Parts: sequence; structure tokens; C-alpha cells
Amino acid sequence: MGLRWYHFALWGAFIVGLALLPELVSKGTLRTIIFANYLAIFAISWDVLSGRTGYISFGHPFLIGIGAYTTAILTKRFGVPVEVSIPIAVLTTMAGGLIVLLPALRVKGSYFAMITLAFMELIYQLVQVVRPDLTGGTRGMSGVPTLTRGAVNGFYLSAFLMVSVALTMWLLMRTRLGTALSAVGMNEESVRGSGLSATRLKMVAFLLSAAIAGLGGAFYIHYLGTIAPRALFEINFAFTIIVAALIGGASTIIGPVIGAFFLTFLLEYLRPYLPGAERYLIYGGVALLLYMYQPRGIYEVIRQGWARVRGLA
Amino acid sequence: MTQALSITNLVKRFGGLTATDDLSFAIEDGESVGLIGPNGAGKTTVFSQIMGEHRQTSGNIHLYGEEISSLTTAARIRRGVSRTYQVPRPFSEMSVAENIRVGLMPDNIWRMIVEGPNTERELELALSVGFAESDLQRTPAELSMGDLRKLEMARTMATGPKVMLLDEVFAGLTVGEIAQIGDLIQQMRGDGMTFLIVSHDLKALEPLVDRAIAINYGAMIAEGTFTEVIDNEAVRASYLGGVA
Ligand SMILES: Nc1ncnc2c1ncn2[C@@H]1O[C@H](COP(=O)(O)OP(=O)(O)OP(=O)(O)O)[C@@H](O)[C@H]1O
Ligand SMILES: [Mg+2]
Repeated sequence: MGLRWYHFALWGAFIVGLALLPELVSKGTLRTIIFANYLAIFAISWDVLSGRTGYISFGHPFLIGIGAYTTAILTKRFGVPVEVSIPIAVLTTMAGGLIVLLPALRVKGSYFAMITLAFMELIYQLVQVVRPDLTGGTRGMSGVPTLTRGAVNGFYLSAFLMVSVALTMWLLMRTRLGTALSAVGMNEESVRGSGLSATRLKMVAFLLSAAIAGLGGAFYIHYLGTIAPRALFEINFAFTIIVAALIGGASTIIGPVIGAFFLTFLLEYLRPYLPGAERYLIYGGVALLLYMYQPRGIYEVIRQGWARVRGLA
Repeated sequence: MTQALSITNLVKRFGGLTATDDLSFAIEDGESVGLIGPNGAGKTTVFSQIMGEHRQTSGNIHLYGEEISSLTTAARIRRGVSRTYQVPRPFSEMSVAENIRVGLMPDNIWRMIVEGPNTERELELALSVGFAESDLQRTPAELSMGDLRKLEMARTMATGPKVMLLDEVFAGLTVGEIAQIGDLIQQMRGDGMTFLIVSHDLKALEPLVDRAIAINYGAMIAEGTFTEVIDNEAVRASYLGGVA
């Protein structure tokens, strides 16, 4: 995998830094960071699928929602313990990932993106009309059991999850599987011409992505304790995930984490000045500027800076 | 001798156009055969049917005695047949080494993960097609047409074929590069590789093949030694009358 000393040093510093955060920042900031952690998980999920294979998902909340609703319904309506409901939620989301895979076997590019958007809209409509006694219908659900009490514990759980997902995916994408998934994004015909099953590779990407989305969605709902379909299946939420991954640096795993933190804090700091949806306009502008400066994202900016520093040393 | 590749009564229609017209031929194991014909004769289409990229309308394709028509492209490559593309199709954001790495990968997710890349073999393949070690980290955008063809060769060789289908490997190459790729093919022939080679550069092709097949409008028009085929009336007429 070509691991170097600085990889260990950087990951170590990152983990230690996260562990110390509750000592350094206010509870309010910590709550912001909790959201950033979950957004990072969702952006990694998007990155594994769309960043690698080029199948752009505009409907990632579809997958996140499956995970969230599954565990919310199981725990609240049927009293299933979370140790059981969360794994079931992950598996159910993976099944959802296979549903999203189906169009990807036939269509590419913007067609695929539109279909994923349709999936999100579809599930939004479905949870409102199909068995509202279970889903809570339009109003959603509240009183979903929470796993942690207080910002500090919520932070530690989310940070632990985010780091686990990020580290696992980062290592996995450094293997030849990561190379093969990138190859699918660059030229599917040549992947086949190299003797690899492009369909199976796509399936792996969709399943991995769905598993992460399901895991993130399930834990997120057990942090919030409420589920609101209108906020969950929302195009702005889908865009926030995509923008986080893109401005951080798609196909790098670390980039989406950086992007998620960057975006969350940007939105947070804009809140006092722009309480409404105008904030999204500003972040769209910032994202665009960053993107024009370095299409490969913040990760690439940092990487080049680091290379320069090492060049001097 | 065993037959490496045989094609029987192959027909491919694209709508009203017959791109392969009742074509039959066989290649012995270790043999090298030239496939010639004017532009649009249907040479590339034969390759894409052998690889399963296009399904034939009718007819059979056997690889070492096994009918492979129902197999996926990946499965055919695992059985030992591999091709280069007339228009090189590298993985554009990957280095030369990574491009070759994809060709070397087993079609097995688990092994992709647990086994590291075989960097020695990557280097060996890159050197064998005429790259320098310093080229390994270059990306396709920095490569000349000649280098792209070499990369195409290396990635095809990486899949471990017993039968190689080469589509216009000399197009866009310098005289020096043509000699280099020619030497490589000769060396592989010495090692027992089976070839089916398409080339418009007949001079470069001649020393590389044991015999030749000429097609036009998807149908065979001549078969025999290289000289017999290029001296054939119908072949000469097809080249003169063709769009070339
Ligand atoms: N996918 C396709 N759909 C429709 N027609 C096609 C397709 N592929 C090839 N053809 C047609 O089939 C015929 C044979 O094409 P092919 O590319 O096999 O010829 P070729 O001998 O390789 O030509 P060249 O020397 O120019 O590479 C041509 O008339 C071509 O236009
Ligand atoms: Mg051709």
C-alpha cells in the first residue's frame, strides 16, 4: 500500500487532535463538529461511488434515508435493540444500493444522475403515503432512541465512526481495488479489455457506498432522535454532500472529510448574517471559486503545499 | 498442431450493413497471421467479435477448442485472448505503471485487495515494449502516439494472453518505434505467442507473419503466404477501389 512515516504521523495527529477537541472548543462548536463528522461520512460514501467510478449520485439521501428509517422504525416501533437494528439498517441500505446499481448497468453520465434524483424523490413520496403508522408520514418521527447524552459523548461517537470509516476506506482505496474502481471511472471499455468485470467492480462500489451511507444514516438518526423527511430527502442536502466531496477533493477519501468540515463551518459562520437559504448561494460561490482555482480540491492544494515543504527539507 | 483460434461462418450485420460476411479461418497455436484489407473491410469488427465486445449475428468462435461466444469479454481474456485497440484507450489519469497494473490484476476482488501490485512485472512489461524506467510515472497526456501504442501493447500483454490480436500497432509510430515493436513481436513469436495482426503498413507486417488473410466487405478474398495474398488480383483491386 506504500505507507510512509508521514501517513502514520498525519493520521495520528488527526486522531489525537479530534480526541482533544472537547477540551478546546465550546459545546456549540462541538455540535457543529458532530454534524461535520456525519457529513464527512456521507461525503466519503459519495466519494467511494461517484468520486471513483464517475457514476454521479444526486440522490445520496435515498441511501442515507433507508438506513435512518430502517433503524428508526425497528427501534421505535418494534423495540428492537440498536445492536440489531443498525446492522439490519446497513444491510437494508446495501440492498438499496443494488437498486441504484440497476440503472448504472445501462446508463451513464447525466442520465444516471437524474435517475438517482428520481430515487430520492420517490422515497420521499413513499415514506409519506406507505404505512405512515410506521414512518410517521409527512411529519416524520420523534423520540427515536438516542445512543449518547450530551455534546461531548455525541462528538466522540461521531468522531470514532468518521475516523473508522475514513481510515478503512482510505486504506482500501490504496489497494489495487481502489485503482480498479478509478479505472471504471476513466474508461469502462478498457477495464473490460483488461480482463476485469466492470459490472462486478461497479457492484462493489455501490455496495461499499451504500454500507457507509446506511451506517452514517443510522447513527445520525440515533444522535438526532428525530427524523424529518422534508429535511432528509432534500436537494440541498444532496448538494451539500456532493460539494463537500468535490471541493475537498473527489476520489481521495481525505478530501471529502476536509470538504465536510470546511462547508459545515462556512455555513455555520454565515448563519448569523444569512439565516435563510441565501447561505447556500454564498457557499455555492465559494465552492465555485475554489473549484476554479483547483478542480482537484483542497486536498490537492494541501498536497502540493506539502510536496513543496518536503522539497525544501 | 492444435488450433488456437478458429472462426466459422462468422456473420455480423449492423442493420443493413454486413460487416462480417460468412468468414471462416483458423490459426494454429504459435502461428502468426496477418489480417489485411482496405479501410472499412471489417478487420476491427472481427476483433471485437472475438473479444465479445460485439456479439456476432451468427457463426462460431473457438479458442483452444472451446466455443467462447457466450462468454463475457473478461472471461475470454481469462481464457487467453487479448487485443490492442486501433485508437489507444489508456486510463487517462493513471500513470504508465498503473495502466499496466490494471492489466495485471486478477478478476477477483479479494485478491485485488490483499495482494499488492507486482511492481517488478509492471517494470518488466514497460521495459519490454521500449519504455524507460523513468517513463513509469508519466501519464497518458504526456505520451506520444508511439508511446500510447506501446502502453496499449504492455497492458494487453499484462493480461497474460496466449493469443494476441493487434490492431494497427504501427500506425503513428516512427521508423525506430516500428522496428522496436517489430522486434518485440518477433521475440514473443519465438516464445510461442500466437498472433493475429492487422496492419496497413504491409512492409512492417510482412516479416512478422507466417501467412496472411485478406478480407473485403467482411468476406475473405484471399488466403496464403504473404506474397501470394498481396499479389492476388482481388486484393490489389480491393486496395485500389477502397476508400484508402
Ligand atoms: N458499431 C458499428 N455500428 C455500425 N457499423 C459499424 C460499427 N462498427 C463498424 N461498422 C461498420 O462496419 C464496417 C467494418 O468496419 P471495421 O471498423 O471493422 O473496418 P476495418 O477493416 O477495421 O477498417 P479500418 O482499416 O478503417 O480500421 C464499416 O463499414 C464500418 O462503418
Ligand atoms: Mg479497424
